[in-house]
Amino acid sequence: MADRAPREALDPTEDGDATEVEEQLAARPHPAGPPPPPSLVDGEEHPVDPRSVKLARIIGISSILLAAAAPLFGITLGWVLGGIPNVVYLPVLAGLLSLLAVLLTFSFQWTAARHRHLRYRVDESGVRIRRGVFWRKVIWIPISRVQHTDVSQGPLQRSFGLATLTVHTAGTEGASISLAGLEHGIATRLCEHLRPDRERDGD
Amino acid sequence: METEVRRLHRWSWLFIGAGTIKALIFPAIGAIFASGGFLLARLDLLSLIFVVPAFIYAIVRQRVYNYRFTEKELVVRDGLLTRNVRHIPYDRVHNVALVRNPIHRLLGVTSARIETAAGGKPEALLCVLSLEAAEELRFHTLGEGREAAATGTPTSALVEIPLLQVPDRELARLGLISNRGLIVAAAVAGLLSRGGWWDSDWVKAQDWLSVYRGTRAEAPGWIAWVIEPGSLIANVVRGVALILLLLVLLRLLSMAWYLVMYRGFTLRRRGEDLQAEYGLFTHVSSLIPAHRIQLVTVSVTLLHSCFGRASIDLETAGASEAGSDLSKQLAASGAKNTRQWLAPIVEAERVAELVRKVMPEVDLEAVEWKPIEARAVRRIVRRVAIVLAPVTAGIAAMVAFTPIPLSGWHGLWLPPVALTVAWLAARRWVRRAGYALTEDAIFFRSGWLGYQISVVRFVNIQTASMRQSPFDRRNSMASIAVDTAGAGRFGHRIQIPYLDVELAESMLTRLYAETCTTEFRW
Repeated sequence: MADRAPREALDPTEDGDATEVEEQLAARPHPAGPPPPPSLVDGEEHPVDPRSVKLARIIGISSILLAAAAPLFGITLGWVLGGIPNVVYLPVLAGLLSLLAVLLTFSFQWTAARHRHLRYRVDESGVRIRRGVFWRKVIWIPISRVQHTDVSQGPLQRSFGLATLTVHTAGTEGASISLAGLEHGIATRLCEHLRPDRERDGD
Repeated sequence: METEVRRLHRWSWLFIGAGTIKALIFPAIGAIFASGGFLLARLDLLSLIFVVPAFIYAIVRQRVYNYRFTEKELVVRDGLLTRNVRHIPYDRVHNVALVRNPIHRLLGVTSARIETAAGGKPEALLCVLSLEAAEELRFHTLGEGREAAATGTPTSALVEIPLLQVPDRELARLGLISNRGLIVAAAVAGLLSRGGWWDSDWVKAQDWLSVYRGTRAEAPGWIAWVIEPGSLIANVVRGVALILLLLVLLRLLSMAWYLVMYRGFTLRRRGEDLQAEYGLFTHVSSLIPAHRIQLVTVSVTLLHSCFGRASIDLETAGASEAGSDLSKQLAASGAKNTRQWLAPIVEAERVAELVRKVMPEVDLEAVEWKPIEARAVRRIVRRVAIVLAPVTAGIAAMVAFTPIPLSGWHGLWLPPVALTVAWLAARRWVRRAGYALTEDAIFFRSGWLGYQISVVRFVNIQTASMRQSPFDRRNSMASIAVDTAGAGRFGHRIQIPYLDVELAESMLTRLYAETCTTEFRW
């Protein structure tokens, strides 16, 4: 464990604010430096970035609207062309719209609930992820079992400055564990923190 | 110590071609059916379509295929159109399995599968090698040569007394214990249905009476009495007799299956590795580095315990088709199974000793089992009741209103009896379930009639997780699961349900601490 600490101070070659990241990565208080910035490796539970809720809502709501568009358009077309009488159209439309409203509300609340229940915690030797609204799961990934880590960013995530961290282990069920909605800088730092030791690869 | 390029044995084309034809057998049967049996009459045409190209392909493939040993890797060169050079580092090799069917043995060759942790398919399939070449392959890839050179002992001296030898009598017993016969029967049935014979002959024939008469007329004398019309009682008796006969037949099939597949099962320690050899016709010799064993499961079913026996299987990170058998290939249908026998059958009192020899740090006899929450019984019964209540009530109602001998209100007995049985079974299950954490490993035991024990060393744990369903939370319970490399979809594993939530939390912390302080070795 002791040989892992200096590695955290390594330059992750981040664009622009590399020095800042480097300082934040130093988990141990520096002997003669500025006061240590908040470190990730604090053994505290953190939520992911709140902007991820917004992002999830945008994705959820737009996909619901897209899915709803086809039947709404179809039935309205039928009504306009005169194939469907008012007696049928109006109740069906009302039903569809109320279903849509329910779905939208649910999606709106669900994303917030999911965010509320998603927590990660980083310590010297690994990361713990806690998630699930009804069915809850806590998974603890030790650095000694990490094969490699990825940070990925979709186009929407990029516009929000968010990223997904994926940790790969040699396991089967937990072969890849991803944590979405992290701020990109944090994701990169975490990725760096979780990097498996180089010398172990030669085994 | 780079060697020169090695080529496959000169008979390789025979085996490569045969393999290709085997892969083409279903398309060929399909073609026969599509042609309405025309191709069956023109076997020359059929062989021209399938056999000749297969052997031409095989001959060309044999010519391009080669391999060589470098300092640290095995380099395999393959590919007809796209050249494919594969580098396999020796320290990533999990198993070198030599498989020999009677034709292999006749020609004095063997096919070798090289398995790594990559899973799924073997990393390389050298088909076929002479026995000397296979020995050389093992010598290089499994580092036997290096160790032998270091200690100054010749390789042959590393072959010790067998850890386990399974005599024919035991294999027959194993056939009796397990349901392998059903699988053989299922395989035959699957083959038949794939040929489309059932559809054409049985389902389409709607005039069942004529079918029945036809069968009666055609049936040989010894079986005709079974389908002779008679009274209800006689029919019932015949039905029962038929079922019994079928069961006996299945058991016999099962015994035959084990005798064919696992004849002469011998487990040896070879240096640091385990060597298992078995097979009557197709001889398999599988070499597993002991430290690559991820999980060991001891199974004692009800029938096992009647005979005082147990089975032990293990999971390595690499997929090993050589170690798996027909059942697994059938059950698999795409899903991989990485289990193989450590001991197909062994006396119950030898289990702990055998496991200790494979994993010195694991002592099954010294384990202090801890129970799961006794409150779990109520939860299980409640869950079963929710499913059982409507079903049994429905059956009871059906019985009440159907004019069969046992009708009337007797059906009302069903729900309480079913519930009592469920309660007894749940209680038994909860009492038998247990877990243990020792210095080096985690154990989990579960079962109702029989039991299974799984062991994973902390070194082999990848991640540990805790789950809580809404019902778990209402009862302040949780379950703990451990993930290992190469875990197949089937079989017993470490998933401990119905734990007190605080206990589960502390267990998770302990498991995490243990995995952090150990290093996983591939």
